Amino acid sequence: MIAIMMVMGTIVLFYVMSIVYKRFTYPLLIPIFSTTVLIVIILLISKIPYDTYMSGGKWINELLGPAVVSMAYPLYIHREKIYNYKVPILLSVLIALFSGLISITILSKLLSFDEHVLLSLLPKSITSPVAIPISEAIGGIPTLTAVFVIFAGLVGAILGPTIFRVFRIDNAISRGISMGSASHGIGVSKLGEYGEETLTMGSVSMTLSAILGSFVCPLFTLLI
Amino acid sequence: MVKIIRIVLQVIILYLFSLIGSWIVQSLSLQFPGSIIGLFLLFSCLYFKIIPVDLIKDGAGFLLSFLALFFIPATIGIMNYPEFLSWAGLGMVVSIVISTIITIIITGIFCEYVEGKSIKKEQIE
Repeated sequence: MIAIMMVMGTIVLFYVMSIVYKRFTYPLLIPIFSTTVLIVIILLISKIPYDTYMSGGKWINELLGPAVVSMAYPLYIHREKIYNYKVPILLSVLIALFSGLISITILSKLLSFDEHVLLSLLPKSITSPVAIPISEAIGGIPTLTAVFVIFAGLVGAILGPTIFRVFRIDNAISRGISMGSASHGIGVSKLGEYGEETLTMGSVSMTLSAILGSFVCPLFTLLI
Repeated sequence: MVKIIRIVLQVIILYLFSLIGSWIVQSLSLQFPGSIIGLFLLFSCLYFKIIPVDLIKDGAGFLLSFLALFFIPATIGIMNYPEFLSWAGLGMVVSIVISTIITIIITGIFCEYVEGKSIKKEQIE
C-alpha cells in the first residue's frame, strides 16, 4: 500500500513540477531537481526512511534499464548524420570525457576528497541511468553520483549560453556536442532554444558520451 | 487504449533487451552497465533490420520523454548522506561547477576548430 503511494506521489509531483517548469522555465525549477528536493523535504518532515520510500521507488528505478536501451532509437534515426560527422563527434566526445575526468580528479586531489567521493564524481558528465551503474562498477557511491550528475547538468543549463557567447561557440554542432557531453540530458533540454540541429547533436553526443564513458571511466580509474 | 497497450508491450520488449544486457554482464562478470549492452543489441537489431523500428518506436519515445522521472528515486538517496550539506559538500559542488565549465569550453572550442577544418576541406574538394 505504502509502496503504491510512493510511486503515485512521485509521478504526480513530477508531473506538477513539469507544468510549473513549462510555465516559468527557470533552470533551478527543472523537474528532476525540484521534485527531488520536495520529496526529500516531505520524507524528512514525515520521518519516512529512504528504504520505505524505495519499496515503491524501486519500481520506478527499474525502468532506468529499458530507458537506456531506448537511446538506441534516436541513435538509429540519426545514424546518417552521425556517420557524416563521425570524426568531429567522436573526437569531441572523447575530449569532453577526458577534460571532465582530468579536471575533476585534479580538483578532488586539491581539495583532498575521499577516494569514494572522487570515484563518485568521475561519471558526473554522463546521463544518470548510465552514470549510476558506472559509479557502482568503479567503487563509487551511486547515490552521490546521481546527485553530482544533476549538478553537472544544472551548470550546463544555467551557464552554457553565457559560455557559448563569451568563447564564441556559435556552431550548432559545437554547441550540441559540448553541452551533451558535459551536461547530458539537463543541459540538452536547454538546447531546444537553439533549434533542431543543436538539440539532435546534443542528444546524440549525450548517448555517445554514455557509451564511451562506460569504457573510459573504469580504465581511467586504473590511472589514478 | 490501443496505444497504451502498444506502449506497454514495447516497454516490455525494451526491458527484455536490458535484462539480456545485464545477464551478459553478470555471466561474464564484467564491470560494465548491462543496459549499455542492451542498447548495442537493440541498435544492431534495428540496423540489420532484424526487428522493425515500429516494434519499439512508441515505447522508446515514451521512456525517453519521461527519462528524468526514472532517476528521481536514486537521487532521493541523498537524504541518507546528511554530510553532503556541509563545507565538504559545498567543495564538491564547486568542483563540479568548475569541471563542467572547463569541459564545455574545451570541447566547444575544440569542436569549432575541427568543424571549421572539415568545412574548409569540403570546400577545397
